[in-house]
Amino acid sequence: MTVKELIEQTGWQCMTKEADTSREVNGVYCSDLLSWVMGKGQPDQAWITVQSHINVIAVAVLREFSCVILAEGAHFPEEVIARAEQEDLVLLESEAPVYETAKKLMELGI
Amino acid sequence: MFYDLHMHSCLSPCAEDEMTPNNICNMALIKGLNLIAVTDHNSTRQLPAMAEAARNIGIGMLFGTELESSEEVHVLGLYRRLEAALSLQPWIDAHMPGIPNDEKFFGKQEIMNASDEIIGTESQLLIVSLSASLEECVKEIHRTGGRAILAHVLDRKNSVTTQLGFIPMDLDYDGLEVKFPAQKAEVMEKNPWVRKDIIWLVDSDAHRLIDISEPVNDISEETVARLWGDLQ
Repeated sequence: MTVKELIEQTGWQCMTKEADTSREVNGVYCSDLLSWVMGKGQPDQAWITVQSHINVIAVAVLREFSCVILAEGAHFPEEVIARAEQEDLVLLESEAPVYETAKKLMELGI
Repeated sequence: MFYDLHMHSCLSPCAEDEMTPNNICNMALIKGLNLIAVTDHNSTRQLPAMAEAARNIGIGMLFGTELESSEEVHVLGLYRRLEAALSLQPWIDAHMPGIPNDEKFFGKQEIMNASDEIIGTESQLLIVSLSASLEECVKEIHRTGGRAILAHVLDRKNSVTTQLGFIPMDLDYDGLEVKFPAQKAEVMEKNPWVRKDIIWLVDSDAHRLIDISEPVNDISEETVARLWGDLQ
């Protein structure tokens, strides 16, 4: 499934306007400790977190994630969205808690 | 000057009851330290008693607190003047989540006077994250005249490294704190963008009297002056 299809089927808010939504989503990684994500994330995963710090962008690019999903109704600051646009990284926001957000991805077969 | 600028009084729920203002100052004096700071979690309310006890006992003191940002990163705000440190408190109060402290689980949060008598109890749990980002915490420390030190940067709990992966490149902090001098090289290797002239502190993060630093970590008058100006 592509990021674009994911957005269409979940209704999660896409915060980046320009970033590439044609990337494939293969797998999911959930963690809020960026040190762990740096060590364990795999390319093309969707990353679910509640962290919205600017370092999230660097870690997501480093691990080649297909998108970052901010759960629990949290919001990305504007400067973080701007940096993601520069890095061509899609940022999504989900109102649901982390577990419900992950379950939704499982239901979609990811 | 031998220093230890990160320790917790009995106001922090995780610190031992023995961490009273006079016990801390006397133990630091016995150990041969010249400059200390008590940095309780998200509170400056023990500092008036600390200031008086330090004056009575005759040991140098800076005034601090250990803030926990929304990313759960710990950052020290260290001040030369008590009044400046206390001026941070309303901002802290406005960013607390308001969770009551369960004494049986977390421990007591006692506020003392300079005679080590309990004059109050903090009812809100202090070991919580504030609703302010790390950047906002640093900015507020600066606005109130303090210096922002990223605490125990290599710890596996509540450090900038664990929570955010690495030290943010654009963050306007004043110093980095490690537990052992040997950790400096590791921090520089992992974060090559850290300024070469950044100020390093090696502190105990003591929660018990016995853990307060021995007189091994030295800070020069020049470094102190660079951070806080003339202490006199």
